[in-house]
Amino acid sequence: MSIEPAWSGAFDRGAIHEVAALPFAGVREWAFGGSTGAGVRVAVIDSGVDAEHPRVGGVVGGVAFHLDAEAEYGYVEDEGPHGDLVGHGTACAGIIRSIAPEAEIYSVRVLGANLKGRGALLHAGVEWSVEHDMHVANLSLSSKAEAMFGPLHEVADQAYFSGTVLVCAANNLPGPTYPSQYASVISVASRAGSDELALAYNPHPPVEFGARGIDVDVAWAGHGSITATGNSFAAPHVTAMVALMRSKHPWLTPLQVKAVLHAASDNSVPGPDS
Amino acid sequence: MAIATGQDPALGRSVEAVRRLFAAAACSVALVDEEGETLRFVASDGAGADAIVGVTIPVSRGIAGWAAMSGQPIAVRDVQTDARFARDVAESTNYVPSSILAAPMMTTEGEVMGVTSVLDPSVEEASDWTLQVLGTLASQMALLLAGGHGPSTPSPAEALGRDVLRVVEAWQSGQPGHVGPSGTRSPGAR
Repeated sequence: MSIEPAWSGAFDRGAIHEVAALPFAGVREWAFGGSTGAGVRVAVIDSGVDAEHPRVGGVVGGVAFHLDAEAEYGYVEDEGPHGDLVGHGTACAGIIRSIAPEAEIYSVRVLGANLKGRGALLHAGVEWSVEHDMHVANLSLSSKAEAMFGPLHEVADQAYFSGTVLVCAANNLPGPTYPSQYASVISVASRAGSDELALAYNPHPPVEFGARGIDVDVAWAGHGSITATGNSFAAPHVTAMVALMRSKHPWLTPLQVKAVLHAASDNSVPGPDS
Repeated sequence: MAIATGQDPALGRSVEAVRRLFAAAACSVALVDEEGETLRFVASDGAGADAIVGVTIPVSRGIAGWAAMSGQPIAVRDVQTDARFARDVAESTNYVPSSILAAPMMTTEGEVMGVTSVLDPSVEEASDWTLQVLGTLASQMALLLAGGHGPSTPSPAEALGRDVLRVVEAWQSGQPGHVGPSGTRSPGAR
């Protein structure tokens, strides 16, 4: 297993190298142009979403996972409305809504008032998203627990093959984090700039994409907003881009979605033999 | 500025070093309790240091709690407008910051053990690079607190040491006017 850190300095340090992409002329217009995200189910796997926040504008559904030592798998699942304790999920949902205004957002709450079992609940949230046919799931959180490497890898593969695109925030901590480290997901780090649809491909993975995530005005708890920086805010921009393209082209598989994002990146150029 | 009394001396020196690195008003470390429900400030240096050490807050509260829950480093400007900023805690220390950097601290098993917070850092802008530096330093302090490791496992300190060196080398190779191996420039060159 690689110990290469999932750092994102490639997007923060001046010019980004060009990468050779498939010769898709006008791919950004093809992927995003005129789309509202309508008909696309987006899971926000996080601390919950404040559906009443003006920047969120409602959610279609939701589920909250809680630890329960008496339960078969150590947790219980509560379908239905719930709030956001800390504002993290609300911030992510607000970004997605601003780019894909008609996307169907589902709140999958796996973070609560207790840090125990974070990895297990994260796994449960991804599994729920796959079983409920989410088109794309945003994970602006991660686990560094070695014990979760296998289980999260397995469910990430299930997502990949069943058509749920997992968009994961990279982590600025040294060493691998899961599931952002897996090749089956779309990993995202912060990049400066104000363009919501700006995108760059990192020629030096494991972090693959850079999107807006520095000094972002985001929704927050208490119907407020703040200016914040972090990979947590970069991932929802890419989640929304995936929602836009899957709304226009529902047949796109996770493999194709990543290829389109690669071709749509600002630093993508046609290959030398094109 | 004085380091708070009643804290681990090594950890106290670490938070002082981090505060100085960021030329910040204060730096603190808070640890998660056994039940995973609260963060207790165990070390601090700078403004409000004496008042914050010993304070306990729920893990769902404040920017520090936010970093603990998500496992992600974060930088927030103008925290006084943030409804979730633990303002009463800040006011009890007689120092209310306007910006905060916070990074989770992980055990060698990868569980969240605490949070390192930096109040009012003197950096030109909140950048991803700043979070990388703080994330690395927070990991270093986590190892300091975690102590030794089993004889059959690779040393996390060695691995982290390599990571720190990589950060330093990247920084040095990217100084203004110098193009590094990947052709990128340093934050200082922006």
